[in-house]
Amino acid sequence: MELNRRDLLKKLSAGTAAAAAGGAVSVAALGGIAHAEEPAQAPAEAVGLLYDATRCIGCQSCVVACTKANGLEPDNRRDPLHQAPTDLNSRTKTIIKLYKPAKAGEEFSYVKQQCMHCVDPACVAACMFGGLKKDAKSGIVTWTGKYCVGCRYCEIACPYHVPKFRWEGFNPEIVKCELCKERLAKGQEPACTSVCPRKAVIFGPRKQLLDEAKSRIAANPGKYYQDRVFGEHEGGGTQVLYLAHVDFENLGLPALGDESVPQKYLKWQHRLYSYLIVPIGLYATLVGTISKNWKHHQEHAEIEEKNTGLRPQI
Amino acid sequence: MKTETWERDVPVFDVPIWTRPFIALCGLGALGMLLVAYREIVGLGPASGMNDAYAWGIWKTFNTMVLTGVGSGAFAVGIAAWIFKRNNLHVVMRTALLTSLLAYLFGLAMLGVDVGRPWNFYWIAFPWHWNLHSPLLEVAVCMSVYATIPLLLENVPAGLEYAFDQWPQYQPILKKVEKFLMAGYPWIVSLAYVLPAMHQSSLGALMLLGGTRVSPLWQTPFLPLLYVWAAAFLGFACVTSTILFSGIMWNRPFDLDVLNELNRITIWLIGAWLVFRTVDLTVRGQIVAAFHADIYAVLFWMEMILLAVSVWMLRDANANQNVRKMFIGQLVVAVAGMLYRFSPTTLAFQPKPGAFYFPSAIETLISLGFIAIAVAIFIFLAKILAILPAPMRLWNAMEARKARKASAQKVPARVGRGQLVTGD
Repeated sequence: MELNRRDLLKKLSAGTAAAAAGGAVSVAALGGIAHAEEPAQAPAEAVGLLYDATRCIGCQSCVVACTKANGLEPDNRRDPLHQAPTDLNSRTKTIIKLYKPAKAGEEFSYVKQQCMHCVDPACVAACMFGGLKKDAKSGIVTWTGKYCVGCRYCEIACPYHVPKFRWEGFNPEIVKCELCKERLAKGQEPACTSVCPRKAVIFGPRKQLLDEAKSRIAANPGKYYQDRVFGEHEGGGTQVLYLAHVDFENLGLPALGDESVPQKYLKWQHRLYSYLIVPIGLYATLVGTISKNWKHHQEHAEIEEKNTGLRPQI
Repeated sequence: MKTETWERDVPVFDVPIWTRPFIALCGLGALGMLLVAYREIVGLGPASGMNDAYAWGIWKTFNTMVLTGVGSGAFAVGIAAWIFKRNNLHVVMRTALLTSLLAYLFGLAMLGVDVGRPWNFYWIAFPWHWNLHSPLLEVAVCMSVYATIPLLLENVPAGLEYAFDQWPQYQPILKKVEKFLMAGYPWIVSLAYVLPAMHQSSLGALMLLGGTRVSPLWQTPFLPLLYVWAAAFLGFACVTSTILFSGIMWNRPFDLDVLNELNRITIWLIGAWLVFRTVDLTVRGQIVAAFHADIYAVLFWMEMILLAVSVWMLRDANANQNVRKMFIGQLVVAVAGMLYRFSPTTLAFQPKPGAFYFPSAIETLISLGFIAIAVAIFIFLAKILAILPAPMRLWNAMEARKARKASAQKVPARVGRGQLVTGD
């Protein structure tokens, strides 16, 4: 098998050109995509909750009302007489917890937990087929069974530990607060806000709730922790907002920074897969290189077959 | 100069299929499958140790996320052979391809057992339902496509060769099939490197969303890159140790040139990895976390020291041409690499204070069951297909044995069947 120089150059240049073009496209794409990212904004008509820990008396009316409104079985596994869950779980979409300070004399606080309905939710970013989706209008994060494969990646991704899995039985579900969307559709407010005797948790459009929270801070300087509304910017913003007189971290609200979890951690993932330009560029590069080596390998195999009489192995 | 030509894979002949270890593997596999049925009925909670804090257990974090890394031989060795023209590595490609195929198929099957609502997986066939932002979607799509298309096709030639030999009457058709396959082979092979690069990195990206719950010793923006990198040396470790272990077990000769090459590449991959990992930790300012008195620091040093030791062992083994040392060295690589891939998902993953996970007995047996079946299939196929590399004289010995058998069949043999079998 003779290969003259011109042929060799031709072959080389075809493969090399494909390879180089693929590489160039990939790099260009990465550079271009890197500029096209804007942080997500809450929908204009986003609704949510405002929970004020200074008003909450820990009566747990909201917990009971939530269970009833959502048709859940009261979680009395710990105490047969009372509905006394220890955490959010497959029977509990909201819970009141107590923060007891380690040192005597410091202030205690209740805290209500439920889905935060993030502006840019990590669970939705994690979800494979859109089982968890953020409603474009209300911004409520909802779960649809027929798109859920039960992979529980939402549980890994959620920085607030909200989505819970029903671990029993052959047809499990993801259970989380959906802001009583059925009640909202009927013109009612969510179960938890409807029963709160101290109006510690109230329902409304996010913008309005944010104004309300800020006016409470303005009216009571020094009352609220850092004069800050948790959820305005934290983790890219949430539709459930918190006011408290103690450190938010003590209430299980982590210090996330202003970037949302998907924005912070999946930036490069998005860039790499945007329009599949990078993978396709890489593929072109490899086909170019390997085709060249493949030809050489086949020629070699033919010679071997002639010499040994054995069929070449691939 | 070498006296033997090694460009050949040869079945493990002269060894019965049904040996005691093989039966034990099948038994373990059968038990695992029975327990899978139990899991499907009672649900994930009663069958496993998983809970809402540790929502992922060993099925996903070990069988899928770690073992597909081990099954990256086809990817790693293939790149060395086809792109970097390490031509002497072509002879170990079939071992790489089969171990990879089995690791992936059983990793995917395990994923099917792990998810709570597997019947909804059919949405994977509808790309407009894909959430392209989800690293898990990327993993699920890429892995299924990789295992069922390019990786499977790459494994076809070994099967064709068997059919060619077994059923001579179909040779013209088989030749056509082979020609067709060979025409598209560079395209298939290229796909077989792009897809694993994608999903092996996405496996790392999975834990990015874990955020601060993953110990800073592992949580880095380079997690995807480090996962592919670990897959690369794990792949080399798997292929090399499989060849070494099979050779020791079935008493087959070794090609030291090829083994040295495999070890050498493994050494370089690990050496560069150790440097990169240290630089990454230092630049992120998290190197101090390695000196905290906690379990994470212990895990980190175990991983780093084991990898460093493996480099030393493999260098020593290569210098002394000692195959047993090579095997132990590669085993250390595998253990350390698996530890790296497992840590951020489980051991160095602290969802919240007081959270605890330990796999239940049923969970562990199902996990082992799947591994046992994969190993059993490998052993079975290594005995009938030309998978493992061997010198030319072994191929000739096999052909001679076949010819003897054929002539013995014409005249009824006086000896009993058992006497034809030699060695175990």
